[in-house]
Amino acid sequence: MTQNAFHRFTGASRYVLDEELAKIVNVSMALEMPLLLKGEPGTGKTMLAHAIAESLQMPLIVLNVKSSMKLVEALYQYDTLTRLNDSRFGDSTRDVSNISEYIRMGKIGQAFVADQRTVLLIDEIDKADTDFQDDMLDVLDQMQFDILEIDRTVRARHRPVVIITSNAKKDLSDPFLGRCNFHHIAFPDEEMMRHIVAVHFPDLSDDIAKAGIKAFYRLRALEGIEKKPATRELLNWLRALRADPGFRLEALADEALPYLGVLFKKSGDLERANVLANA
Amino acid sequence: MFAPFFYTLRSRGVPVTPTAFLRLQKALSLGLVESLGDFYTVARSILVKSERDFDTYDRVFAEQFEGVAAETGGAVEVDDAIRALLDEWLKEPDELAKAMGLSTQELKRMSADELLNYFLERLMDQKGVHRGGRKWIGVGGIAPVGHSGSRPGGMRVGGVSRNRSAIVVALERRYRDYAQDAPLTRAQTGEALKRLRHMLPAGPKDRLNVEKTIDQTMRNAGEIEIVFDRRLADKLKVVLLIDNGGWSMDPYVETVRSLFHHAQTQFKELSIYYFHNTVRDRVWRDAQRRSHPELVDMLVRRDPETRLIVVGDASMAPEELFQVKSIVPFEDRQKMPSIDRLKQLAAAFRHAVWLNPAPDYLWDSRISIRGIRQVFPMFPLNLTGLERAVAHLTAR
Repeated sequence: MTQNAFHRFTGASRYVLDEELAKIVNVSMALEMPLLLKGEPGTGKTMLAHAIAESLQMPLIVLNVKSSMKLVEALYQYDTLTRLNDSRFGDSTRDVSNISEYIRMGKIGQAFVADQRTVLLIDEIDKADTDFQDDMLDVLDQMQFDILEIDRTVRARHRPVVIITSNAKKDLSDPFLGRCNFHHIAFPDEEMMRHIVAVHFPDLSDDIAKAGIKAFYRLRALEGIEKKPATRELLNWLRALRADPGFRLEALADEALPYLGVLFKKSGDLERANVLANA
Repeated sequence: MFAPFFYTLRSRGVPVTPTAFLRLQKALSLGLVESLGDFYTVARSILVKSERDFDTYDRVFAEQFEGVAAETGGAVEVDDAIRALLDEWLKEPDELAKAMGLSTQELKRMSADELLNYFLERLMDQKGVHRGGRKWIGVGGIAPVGHSGSRPGGMRVGGVSRNRSAIVVALERRYRDYAQDAPLTRAQTGEALKRLRHMLPAGPKDRLNVEKTIDQTMRNAGEIEIVFDRRLADKLKVVLLIDNGGWSMDPYVETVRSLFHHAQTQFKELSIYYFHNTVRDRVWRDAQRRSHPELVDMLVRRDPETRLIVVGDASMAPEELFQVKSIVPFEDRQKMPSIDRLKQLAAAFRHAVWLNPAPDYLWDSRISIRGIRQVFPMFPLNLTGLERAVAHLTAR
């Protein structure tokens, strides 16, 4: 291990990190392996990458995976259209006969050629197909890829810290899993949630936070809800409560909770929540 | 020192690879692990690749590093038993509130853990005061009655470790809800079933195929030749037969319903039929099994590529499966024993599975299950089983 050991990750200002997760991030960095994060939507998988970048003081590069994406798009793009345009009108400073002037780096490429070490977030890998996933890990394993058009090999100047998130929509292939460190982010418990809320709303009074969180967990536990509200929804809900000048603390203890629409995004769920919570 | 740990994980079905194990050794040699707590976390992130195996990992870890035998009745297990009981009682909040000397309102305010602690305190009290006599908490008094009703509390999932020993954390079994054999959630069901879909070209040729267009154009020496394709559509036909009769299926109704709910949104052509215990001459379109019968003789004439999924616990008296009831009016009489009907179905549809919600350790002990398994490949109705069933159905 080199001086990277000093880049220990301890948690950033906006993200509440449990020890377990911090340890896993550090180990993944030391072993130079991508870290695969799974968990319910809204548990802060994407936020974690932001927090890691912030606390390690590295730039963050985000690759948002789409279902139709091909690996090469994530590596580089050969901009044929501009080249065609240039060759026809010839009014640019680029040299049309030099193809490398028309190669643009994709997100993974950018992370490889960056001047300093970066955090590379590959968000929602499960959207892509298996071939994409496996090929991508080959690239990340070898830390290099070829640009076919100009027969050049791009090597990573600094090995990026790779964070991969998955919403567990599809199972990932075994070889893929074998090459990643794995962590599953469980939904935070009430105590943890109080920390999270305190980080986001430092000036929120204890009573409101406590009552709000309590009501929130009660709502989460309702049966028959299709999309349970997650941390993101709770934070938005608290924001809504704070923005309401007529809001009193007692409203949370009441049976009829305000702004349930912020928590429940599906109309069926909202109706159910209204009926059940106010029963 | 860690080799036995590794092998125990493997023998319990956690797919640990030697590479991962070597990687763990490397992590250890890098000096990243300073305590057993660290080891717990680091080893899990390196060795275990699915939250479904976290629970098994927890148990093996606790066993290996404290010599705690799994599945023995320690403090934790008692705790669990009480949790399960409370959970059951919570279906009748008013009764429970009365028994605990609380108002329903107060009860609703309590989280599952507060409730558990309160309950344990009461239990201690009781030991001191009462022995025999009128129990104020017990199975006799406030045993679960109804099925429906609101459930105010609920168990939390997972937690955060803070300065507690790794063994304690492992013993908490925070990931039990994610375990392989845990009940199916709706999302999981949907995802598993989705794999059944397969897309085939159908309809008019109205999709531009860019690649082929370029290719053809080049072959034509630059004369533009546009190539169209048919769009892809889901042509898969599925027949779902659900056993919705008899008390033996009652405990599984919820699971089956969620399966059914998802199946409806997944497939273009899905027919659902109901039966009671086993398939005889006809199955029904309506859940009451009264007004819309469909003869099995008609059913088997469908497209042989149709996927047939039967859901049922396959548990019944053997004569129900193997014999024809003789004491019924002639016109109602079964043409053939049920087992032959099943064979007829299995012969008509080569892609057929039977999903059984009954736990698979019971399968060998029931004659009717053994009989049906000889006709249909049977899979347990949990995530692993469903995945295997889908793999079987999609096989060529």
